[in-house]
Amino acid sequence: MIHLKNVSKWYDSFQVLDNCSTSVSKGEVVVVCGPSGSGKSTLIKAVNGLEPVQKGEVTVDGMVVSDKKTNLNHLRARIGMVFQNFELFPHMSVLENVKLGQIKVLGRADDASEVKAKALLDRVGLADHANKFPSQLSGGQQQRVAIARGLAMDPIAMLFDEPTSALDPEMINDVLDVMVELAHDGMTMMVVTHEMGFAKKVADRVVFMDEGKIVEDAKKDDFFGSPRSDRAQLFLSKILSH
Amino acid sequence: MQYNWDWGILFRDPYIWWLVDGLKWTLMIAMCAWVLAFVLGSALGIMRTSINPYLRLIGTTYVEIFRNIPLLVQLFLWYFVFPELLPEEAGRWVKREMPLPGFTTTVWALGLYTASRVCEQVRSGIDAIGIGQRNAGRAIGLSEAKVYIHVLLPNAYRIIIAPLTSEFLTIFKNSSLALTIGVIELTSMTRQIEEYTFQGFEAFTAATIIYSLVTFTVMGFMLHLEKRLHVPGRIVVEK
Amino acid sequence: MGDFDFAIIYNNIPFLFEGMKTTLLLTVAAVIGGIVIGTVLAIIRIANVPILAWIAAAYVNFFRSLPLILVIFWLYFLVPLVLGRPVGAFSSVLIAFVLFEAAYYSEIIRAGIASVSSGQVAAARAIGMTYTQCMRFIVLPQAFKAMIPVLLTQAIILFQDTSLVYVVGLKDFLVSAELIANRDQKLIEMFMFVAVVYFTICFAGSLLSSHLQRKLST
Repeated sequence: MIHLKNVSKWYDSFQVLDNCSTSVSKGEVVVVCGPSGSGKSTLIKAVNGLEPVQKGEVTVDGMVVSDKKTNLNHLRARIGMVFQNFELFPHMSVLENVKLGQIKVLGRADDASEVKAKALLDRVGLADHANKFPSQLSGGQQQRVAIARGLAMDPIAMLFDEPTSALDPEMINDVLDVMVELAHDGMTMMVVTHEMGFAKKVADRVVFMDEGKIVEDAKKDDFFGSPRSDRAQLFLSKILSH
Repeated sequence: MQYNWDWGILFRDPYIWWLVDGLKWTLMIAMCAWVLAFVLGSALGIMRTSINPYLRLIGTTYVEIFRNIPLLVQLFLWYFVFPELLPEEAGRWVKREMPLPGFTTTVWALGLYTASRVCEQVRSGIDAIGIGQRNAGRAIGLSEAKVYIHVLLPNAYRIIIAPLTSEFLTIFKNSSLALTIGVIELTSMTRQIEEYTFQGFEAFTAATIIYSLVTFTVMGFMLHLEKRLHVPGRIVVEK
Repeated sequence: MGDFDFAIIYNNIPFLFEGMKTTLLLTVAAVIGGIVIGTVLAIIRIANVPILAWIAAAYVNFFRSLPLILVIFWLYFLVPLVLGRPVGAFSSVLIAFVLFEAAYYSEIIRAGIASVSSGQVAAARAIGMTYTQCMRFIVLPQAFKAMIPVLLTQAIILFQDTSLVYVVGLKDFLVSAELIANRDQKLIEMFMFVAVVYFTICFAGSLLSSHLQRKLST
């Protein structure tokens, strides 16, 4: 479904992605992890073209992201993305946040959008907060709305860029629970995260990045059981001792 | 459109000298007023950020008065009204014996007005540095004065180089108000050329080019200064 | 100082009021014109439309490097010349103010748009919104909310700047007061009255701006 082939990216002279190749099949859950500055956020943003790449090829469901003929807006409408800082639209209510993309991008009718939005908010456990504004919600609640906003577009895949990094500890599990449920429902997911517990629970594969390169790309059990690279071992020992 | 072009007029006697004189006086006004504005404005900025509530009140009052009255009105007050309010002796000196009354009044009025704006820039610079720095300074035993001299001001001035330059350029442009009290400066000279020769287009273009060139040069100098004094990693306050 | 002649002010209120009406009319018209043109300039620059963006930038930098008095003289001289017939001072001055203020308003609006975090733009693009949709529904509404106090402050500055019509003799509030002052030899009273009136209006305006700033920041 999602294919990254020999992808490289530079910011001026600084190389942030170095010849990265990986893929996410339909229904697969791939966790991308690594130390700060390893390029994992940039990698996931390359998938929906928010970060254009200078070398290599990014393909989503057969569409080449870097191809000038590809309508990026259409592509993005089919992939959901959840950001570290939630990025709900503060001047709209929670319900309007979830309806907006449906109405303006997918062209759905207002009634149909509202029905779907309410159903999704219910699914993430926030049906009662539909008419509140983002600033009135906690971080964990905002992030769950953000997931609902992504799901409202009926995406073929969901991208998560460190979805729980900006949350207070007690709210992380609420968000992770929603994500686990999503995985069990068969959603294709690519998740950048430090939450190894989540990875152990639902990931099919784990990709470890360091300094712009993909250092390891293994099935979950292989990765946690016997990581091949020293770098990954070091990272895991630091993370898992928390 | 009926118009007789004569660009040569700008280079002929006496008009070229009018332009030179005008520019000279404009620069003089700007620089003298700037010195006053910078010194007074810095003092006021320090007062407004002081821990002493009385100093803060004086600073705030000054700023509110000087920035809520148009500059032209302030100029007229200083030129026409102030001398009348002074005690006899002082009033007489100002009206009869003070040298270059128009020039001095303009520098005084422009300086005091701009000081209120410099004060706000200095204040925002000090605020941007934050209370943490001030506390750190006091925690190692520095008196408030020393905290300002060694910790706050050196950093504050660096990050407000751009807005301060902008204030200098504003003084430079505001010097044109002096023509209302008969002072020789660039804009009034070009108006004079227009009135004498009817070659308004040429005259005003000369003024336009000169003002633009000065702005351009000063901005270039400011960027250079900013680069040289830049504290690595520190963001600058945007104008 | 002696006796302050309040009567001179009181007796001339109608005349002074007419002057104030001109001042206010000029201010409001210039604010509206300035914001409209300023927004167009800002959007052209942000969208980086080729050639036009360069022209917009040149326009803004040009007008910001000139004294307002010079711009007033320019238009006062140029407008009748271009139209081929004499024009009232008000029209020339109005055009001068609109053109001049548009440059300043454009910078305020540009800063306001830039203040909307890039994360918001990313989130909007991530659900497939086009650039125009993103601007219309996400960026501009947030930008204008943030800008209102600053736009108001610029309007107060404009209000003060209108006093410069003195140089072409347009009968605004200041000039009206000065006419009385010169006619009746009452400079002290009239100029102090003018200062107090300007101060009151501008100070009230700045209080309103601070209030709006507090109310509008989430």
